[in-house]
Amino acid sequence: MTKADAVVVFLALSLLLLLYSRYWIGTNAGETARILIPGEPEIEIPLEQDREYTIKGTLGESKIAVNAGRIRFVNSPCTTKQCVLSGWLQNSGAFAACLPNRISLLVAGKALRFDTINF
Amino acid sequence: MVVMDVTSTKPLRTNKEDYLIAWLTALAISVHIIEAAFPSPLPGVKPGLANVVTVAALILFGWGTAAWVGFLRVLVGSLLVGTFLSPTFALSLAGATASIAVLGIAKALPGVVFGPVGYCVLAAMAHMAAQFGAAYVLFIPHQGLFSLLPVLMTAALVFGLVSGFITKSAITYINDRKA
Repeated sequence: MTKADAVVVFLALSLLLLLYSRYWIGTNAGETARILIPGEPEIEIPLEQDREYTIKGTLGESKIAVNAGRIRFVNSPCTTKQCVLSGWLQNSGAFAACLPNRISLLVAGKALRFDTINF
Repeated sequence: MVVMDVTSTKPLRTNKEDYLIAWLTALAISVHIIEAAFPSPLPGVKPGLANVVTVAALILFGWGTAAWVGFLRVLVGSLLVGTFLSPTFALSLAGATASIAVLGIAKALPGVVFGPVGYCVLAAMAHMAAQFGAAYVLFIPHQGLFSLLPVLMTAALVFGLVSGFITKSAITYINDRKA
């Protein structure tokens, strides 16, 4: 191996380190959340301030809470409570929906983690 | 009216360099096809041992010969494996173009002398990066693809080193036989 070879291998290793830290370790925290209700403009709420929101859906009112940069369904007038069981959402692209009440939540950040999710 | 006689053609002149390129390309294609028979753990990941022939050609005969061998290998290899003009071919061509370009730049750098290991690592990394870029732009323009990039580049580095050491011993062997 020549000196130049060693430099190339060193640079390649540093590139790998950079790639791993950029794409594997880097957190992807969301900055805002979008509340999607069919037939209505989406509501964008900041994740910086902690508070509770009450959103009116098809069945009734869904309670949504923001806490420490995270968001979740607290309660919803549905039977299975899948939305509540989704728990706290933090990363950009994270998604929870209350289909019976037709309300869904999407965390948005700089880059979306997923563009669509099917259940 | 002048009628062109399409049957009378000038004899195709071949010289020593043509034979050299043909032999080297045949060797590279053989390696390419043997390698294509082995299953790969991840799409886009394979040892790329045909690169040994390209880099050996670069060191022994210069960039022109290496570029011929590299491109002909992709073209004829794809015809034989059956991927000509398929998505695989597009990725392969993008990778070969990038690695040959990088080898040309590396060879032309003034005052810097690379050995087989340096060339092979450069070629493998360039090949993988271009292949990934082409896959992203042409086929899967999705952020999620980037999660694969670190793994793919790691594979490129490992296989680049392996083919580098193989190239090194091949060149040593050839030089010993010449002496």
